[in-house]
Amino acid sequence: MSKGYKGKVLRVDLSSGTCKTEALNAEWAKSYLGGRGLASKYLTEEISPDVDPMSPKNKLIMATGPLTGTYGAANGRYMVVTKSPLTGTIASSNSGGYFPSELRYAGFDMIIFEGKAARPVYLQIHNDRAELVGAIHLWGKSTNETEDAIRNEFHGDAKVACIGPAGENGVFYANIMNDKHRAAGRSGVGMVMGSKNLKAVAVRGTGGVRVADPKAYRDAALESYGLLKENPVTGEGLGALGTAVLVNVINQSGALPTRNAQTGTFEGAEKISGETLAATYLKRNKSCMGCIIGCGRVTKLSDAKYSGDGEGPEYESLWALGAACGVSDLAAITKANYICNEYGMDTITAGSTVGCAMELYQRGLISEKEAGMPLEFGNGEALVKLMELTGKGEGFGKKIALGSYRLAESYGMPELSMTSKKLEFPAYDPRGIQGMGLEYATSNRGACHVRGYLISPEILGIPEKLDPHVTEGKATWLKIFQDFTAVVDSAGVCLFTTFGIGVPQFVKFCNAANGTSLSDEDLLAAGDRIYNLERMFNLKAGIDPSQDTLPKRILEEPLPDGPVKGDVCRLSQMLPEYYKERGWSAKGVPTEAKLQSLGLA
Amino acid sequence: MLQLQFFGLIRLLLKREALELAWTEGDTVQRVLDRVQVQVAVPFIQKLIDDQGTPHPGTIILVNRRNILHLQGLQTPLADGDTLAFFPPGAGG
Repeated sequence: MSKGYKGKVLRVDLSSGTCKTEALNAEWAKSYLGGRGLASKYLTEEISPDVDPMSPKNKLIMATGPLTGTYGAANGRYMVVTKSPLTGTIASSNSGGYFPSELRYAGFDMIIFEGKAARPVYLQIHNDRAELVGAIHLWGKSTNETEDAIRNEFHGDAKVACIGPAGENGVFYANIMNDKHRAAGRSGVGMVMGSKNLKAVAVRGTGGVRVADPKAYRDAALESYGLLKENPVTGEGLGALGTAVLVNVINQSGALPTRNAQTGTFEGAEKISGETLAATYLKRNKSCMGCIIGCGRVTKLSDAKYSGDGEGPEYESLWALGAACGVSDLAAITKANYICNEYGMDTITAGSTVGCAMELYQRGLISEKEAGMPLEFGNGEALVKLMELTGKGEGFGKKIALGSYRLAESYGMPELSMTSKKLEFPAYDPRGIQGMGLEYATSNRGACHVRGYLISPEILGIPEKLDPHVTEGKATWLKIFQDFTAVVDSAGVCLFTTFGIGVPQFVKFCNAANGTSLSDEDLLAAGDRIYNLERMFNLKAGIDPSQDTLPKRILEEPLPDGPVKGDVCRLSQMLPEYYKERGWSAKGVPTEAKLQSLGLA
Repeated sequence: MLQLQFFGLIRLLLKREALELAWTEGDTVQRVLDRVQVQVAVPFIQKLIDDQGTPHPGTIILVNRRNILHLQGLQTPLADGDTLAFFPPGAGG
């Protein structure tokens, strides 16, 4: 096993209560790097694509990359990979903080959870010692309370990843929180964890991570550190205002999906912007392990109506709990964000589902009596109350817990769910940013922005400026972005570093850590391999290419306002070109030749 | 008149959200920036533009909500009544 890896997998059989250590598959690690790629390989080898995500036969994998726990960029990420209950696709949710690196310092690259515990348990790892212990006393506790309790009873320096009540109560978009405020957010990975009666994973590791070529690694790290420091986005912008700075940017671009994407601009944008957050509740910024960017927002509410402290809201949360619901009360949004974190719920799907419910209410399909409260757009109090009810699994919260697709479908209006493959799209209206429409439609986990972030070229102009209103060339850009993102997610590095560093820096990092001699093309080919592996799993799971699409509203209803007024997302102009770029058939299926070229046949 | 809007770090630096500026014949984005710099005294142009006079990667300057990179860059001509929005490099996800 090359040195970048610890070379050990911890396999936890929750049904029998046993923990076993096994060697990491070195051949697979060469082809799939680690993190998202390697965990996807393990998952696809070990579960049937048609498995019920909530059955004990589904597995839950927590995977670091070969760079997790090293220095130089923001190398502290891990991925949670499983089959998603929300979408039925392969799920891989990424998070930072300190937990991922600690897992490596304890000596493991990956944990595979299988089966289901008879009663609530949590996993304690202290270097090479791992054991399952009872968690009945933690069941029902918030993520904050759970972490505090575990640190108190296990180890004061333990790093903890856990679910909140949402994961226990079957919220379809329950997440896994680590280090209290970081989230493996999307696709309902916390619901799978809850279905296994697994409350938490607590790790204390005192070892380190070795690399194959320390001198080359140091050179790579110094180069990347310099590039990230000099870059105005990673060196200054993200630290000062965080991701929230995008509220005004995207609103001015006419692509801020407002009131369940009924319009593309929000009159309350300024009130919920990063600039307003900085002038009100923001206390300081915060970094994950080894990160020099520091995009995290440490906030404290000092409002007459709401109190609390925590981290966030980030841009996506400001949009989902704000503009998507027509809410411009920053205190209500921040409070709803805290509740999502404490109950363990994805803010994007949570807010988008409330926005969808508000449109159903607006259309008279949901009554005040049924909801237990008026649900008009802009009602911040209702938003906060619904988040609480959802986390607790009470009242109308039980319906919000379904996610927007199942909710809208239950009222006979699935087209009002702003989703692709049942995953709510984030804070960019594809009618105003064409490439993002293609990204939502083709992402392997449903409508996701962090699988190929074309906002970077289409809006920010990084690495070069593309016109967001044209469709030409977007397929080519997207394929490269998707493949490179798969590499970043698999290496164990934060995606935000890619505003400042690119493929050449990742090649240097990976080669120095793992003792390999990969070229730029080799690394991107690994990304292509991972993307196709995920695609094949989804096809076998019954997610056919007809689902590479967007809501009718986005494809057929022109934006009624803003600078992009009158446009729709012209997906049909981009999708055939995308399939061609990927080497797939005209129907969107990877060809035999393509699979063979990637070693997947 | 020209309506100028400041966002992100520039707003924190200048401690102002907006500024109204008289329009003059032949105004371009660059000329307006130079005039604003004289008026506000606090150095801020370097947050948007590098030493070579090129916008930083990630800088967004909108004229009537259109990015100047799809118009004529810093030489984009301005008409009376135009609205300009200045965003220094930032990002999200």
